[in-house]
Amino acid sequence: MGEAFSEFKDSFSYGSRTDLTFKFLRMLSEEDAAETIRRVLEETGSLFDTGDPAAVIDIAIRTQAESYGSRDLNERYRYEDTPFTPPPAPVAESAVALLTSSGHFVEGDDPEPFGVVGMTQEEAVARIDDFLRETPQLSVIPIDTPADRLVVRQAGYDIRGAVADHQVSLPLSHLCDLESEGVVGRVIPDAYSFVGATAQGRIIKQAGPAWADLLLEAGTDAALLVPV
Amino acid sequence: MCHVSVGHVARILEERGIATVVACVAAFGHYARQMPVPRAVITPFPMGRPLGAPGDRETQRAVVEAALRLVDEAGAPGTVIDLDLPYRPGLG
Repeated sequence: MGEAFSEFKDSFSYGSRTDLTFKFLRMLSEEDAAETIRRVLEETGSLFDTGDPAAVIDIAIRTQAESYGSRDLNERYRYEDTPFTPPPAPVAESAVALLTSSGHFVEGDDPEPFGVVGMTQEEAVARIDDFLRETPQLSVIPIDTPADRLVVRQAGYDIRGAVADHQVSLPLSHLCDLESEGVVGRVIPDAYSFVGATAQGRIIKQAGPAWADLLLEAGTDAALLVPV
Repeated sequence: MCHVSVGHVARILEERGIATVVACVAAFGHYARQMPVPRAVITPFPMGRPLGAPGDRETQRAVVEAALRLVDEAGAPGTVIDLDLPYRPGLG
């Protein structure tokens, strides 16, 4: 007996055909998944003549957004109140920190999750369930780190864009430029990154408060946070 | 889950006196609104590239600037704005 279509579409989400860009296919009904694939193939066919991939990219981005957008946030993560700190001074006079969930670290400073030395992206993806139970580790990334010394590994998303250009999620030089131009008062000299696919309870009770201490000790007034 | 993780970090930092702004992709813009996070800019880009396509320095910088402007301009918690910027791959 052949593979059912439902098994096929689900296999892109941590299955036999893992593709973290298209893992959203699992969320779609069989009919919607089939239509998405049909449209991608149709526009790919048009590429032979137009050479313009914009329509394919547009379908992928829109379907990705619609798929995730159709799933409401778990009630337990919805809050009645929202803490809000007005900045003590305009950003042009403030110390700004950068923190992302991209999974970047500096070469030679591998956080070695679960004690594994030199874990590959593929190995990380295979351990997504372990990451989702783990306390996240924060990697410190000096803002003047050269691009060729940055490494990214994250079990929750397709890292190819971040490998091609870390500034898609870790905008080190953009912040430095904005500091030199006076748009930002001062950039905190260390940026921070962690693997965002992690245990929420551990973020709330352990990691988050510890990271707040770290940012406060560094003199942070405001923080740019970049989830992936 | 990444966006929930960062949302929680945002809330904790704000409670401790640090103003925050989140820059995230449209797929998770509803999370920013439903949680909600204190301030956020939403980009119409694919997952994993919240600030723009690889090599598109102009758009990446525009997102960072818009996010930082929101720190100055947001007058109330839960201020979330959608950015209308093009996704421009192939520039890097």
